[in-house]
Amino acid sequence: MRLFVNITLGGVAEGLIFSSVALGLVLIFRATNIINFAQGAMAMLTTFIAFSVLGKGVGYWPAFLVALACGLLLGGVVQLTLVRPVQNKPPLNAVIVTFGLLIFLEGIAGAIWGNTNRGFPAAFSQKGLVVGKTAVAFSHFDIFIVVAVLALSILVGVLFRFTTVGLRMRAAAFAPEAARLLGVRVGRLLTLGWALAAVAGALAGLLVAPTSVFSPGYMDLILVYAFTAAVLGGLDSPLGALVGGVITGLALAYVGGYLGGSLQPIGALVLLIVVLMIRPEGIFSQPTARRV
Amino acid sequence: MAESTDGSGPGREHGMEHASGRRVGASVKTLAMAGSVVALVATALTFAGPAGAAPTTGVTKNSINIGATVPLTGVAAPGYDEIAPAMNAVFQWVNAHGGVYGRKILYNYVDDAYNPSQTTTQTRKLVLQDQIFATVGSLGTPTQLAVQGFLNAEKIPQLFVESGCNCWSNAKYPYTTGWEPPYTVDGKVLGAYIKSHFKGKKIGYLYQDDEFGQDVVKGLDMEIPQKSVVSRQTYNVATLAGPMTSQMSALQSAGAQVVVLATVPAATALALLPAYTLGFKPQFVLDAVGADPATVGPLLSSFTSAGGGSTSQASAAVGLLDGIITNAYLPAENDLSNPWIQVDRKLLQNYAPSVWKKYGLDGNTEYGLGLAYTFVQALQKAGKNLTRQGLVNAIAKYGKSFVTPGLVPLGYTSKVHFGFEGDSVVQISPSAAQIVTPNGSFPGFTTLAGPYVTSPGKGPVKKYTGKASKPPAKLSKTA
Repeated sequence: MRLFVNITLGGVAEGLIFSSVALGLVLIFRATNIINFAQGAMAMLTTFIAFSVLGKGVGYWPAFLVALACGLLLGGVVQLTLVRPVQNKPPLNAVIVTFGLLIFLEGIAGAIWGNTNRGFPAAFSQKGLVVGKTAVAFSHFDIFIVVAVLALSILVGVLFRFTTVGLRMRAAAFAPEAARLLGVRVGRLLTLGWALAAVAGALAGLLVAPTSVFSPGYMDLILVYAFTAAVLGGLDSPLGALVGGVITGLALAYVGGYLGGSLQPIGALVLLIVVLMIRPEGIFSQPTARRV
Repeated sequence: MAESTDGSGPGREHGMEHASGRRVGASVKTLAMAGSVVALVATALTFAGPAGAAPTTGVTKNSINIGATVPLTGVAAPGYDEIAPAMNAVFQWVNAHGGVYGRKILYNYVDDAYNPSQTTTQTRKLVLQDQIFATVGSLGTPTQLAVQGFLNAEKIPQLFVESGCNCWSNAKYPYTTGWEPPYTVDGKVLGAYIKSHFKGKKIGYLYQDDEFGQDVVKGLDMEIPQKSVVSRQTYNVATLAGPMTSQMSALQSAGAQVVVLATVPAATALALLPAYTLGFKPQFVLDAVGADPATVGPLLSSFTSAGGGSTSQASAAVGLLDGIITNAYLPAENDLSNPWIQVDRKLLQNYAPSVWKKYGLDGNTEYGLGLAYTFVQALQKAGKNLTRQGLVNAIAKYGKSFVTPGLVPLGYTSKVHFGFEGDSVVQISPSAAQIVTPNGSFPGFTTLAGPYVTSPGKGPVKKYTGKASKPPAKLSKTA
């Protein structure tokens, strides 16, 4: 029983990390109709900036805020300079541009900070909570992850569902010409979408780094699992990203704990295939004629 | 096609092409074919030349040209990129003292990013273009397996591969030789220690599911009674993204009191983090690959500092490492009274000052120095008329008596191409002298038992009764 509880808790904690990255993917997809393969690399860069700021001895929370602010800036700049020229071209162009950005950013980070593996401090203690007399696989930092990821998904959900800006962003992304005719400033909203998604990414980077080995490539595998989570959830649903992340995390944890750790990636793959066979548009997506 | 077979040369074909009014494309092709015939003849001539006159490729009257592929960029680079520059310190010392039989050692190491396809390209370039005599100290199991066939087919020595794979001693590949103890020997030595010092305890394993982890476990299983192994957990290094909570929970639930890790340094950290979260405190026993305090320490110190505590890489608060048992085949770098450690430090300071300033003497630079000492002795024993076969024969004949920093002798014979025959069992201890490097101070090692010697096969684990060798007087004096 203790084994099951710990594996489940570990899976939820890891899954929420996938959710946080998946939320950024969903945000960018809904706001600009592009899948951003550089989402992880952008988060890596802002986390490295936080790492440098931390080294100046200013304390954790100022560094945390600096990372989020840099995310906002980075997202906007990337959209204006790299993504805008390919926005209305075939989807493959954007894929190649974001892939190129991924490689470029990892190279830059390696050149500046080196490829060494590092540790990155957590916002709160990673010692497990004590229930009864035994520690369980869920720490104060994991609680922070839950709160941060839930808050982020609620904010994203509210933005798209209940605000005019959110509605305009969706219109700008999926029917740019009609939106423009109705007076929506399409260009600005696409920039805003990227900026907000990069903030979500920056948060994810700060949540992932303390539970991983921090180096320029540390988000690569996380992005693969986050992508699995986003597709499971339907790619355009914040709730889907949240649930998709937790399902992916649990699947990896159960396979790791009961079948063998070296089989974990196969667990994620099987899950993805099964969901795509039963519900190709993802669990939470509203079925429409549009397909990715 | 008649043009290319009549052997009349490019000039004539050009004329024919005009007469027959062929298209330019065809003409270029014919030209190229004729050109390659000429090139082939030329190549044949160059190969025929040395066979008669006898100078070996890569060796001249005053130089020996050797090469290696190592990770200088990419995931495997941190730590491992220190080894080749450290080796060069020894070669610089040798060159400053007249070389080996008057020949200076030129060491040309190139980056393969730990990617076997790049290893293949770079090794071919070293052999065909740079004309090296041998590869010395190339790094990695998958990378070196990719060129083992090529180098042996070309009869080029593939010396002292930096990996403990059992695959370097293989009768099919007589030009390949390992240097560090095979992982199975590590496993046997640790297994024998666990069997005698943790009698009746429940044992658990967590190992990397590839040749490295499997070879360690093979050695452990030869020594530890099967009924005491309560849990065997694995991980896939290519897809490891976060803490191994599932595996550590499983080991905890199985009641493991001794947990053996066969992990690379990053995986060590991702195994010890969930153990810390779970408050799971068994006796950890690590294969040396994943137990370097200077590599693992900085990862762990951040895990245990919350709320943005110091990010200093040098944090000495690495309590999670205290008490970990591991194996060692070289003297501990914190043992400043050891004559080899003294020579190592002086050599780096005087002959590789940039390496000394950046890394100091840590596990990786010590490894490189030890490997280079071994190679220089192999050259000395191969004699004045240096040939590739002569070098391989010298290692087989004299290898067991080479003077190295190793705690036990090298195991080389004509049949056995494994390196060191065993290990000591050591413990990371907060009371031991610290390992001081430019990157911080880390807990050092104390010796628990050994050294032991054994073979990767069925042979018993025996205490080594011989003495450790001392550095040659000339080296101690002039390093």
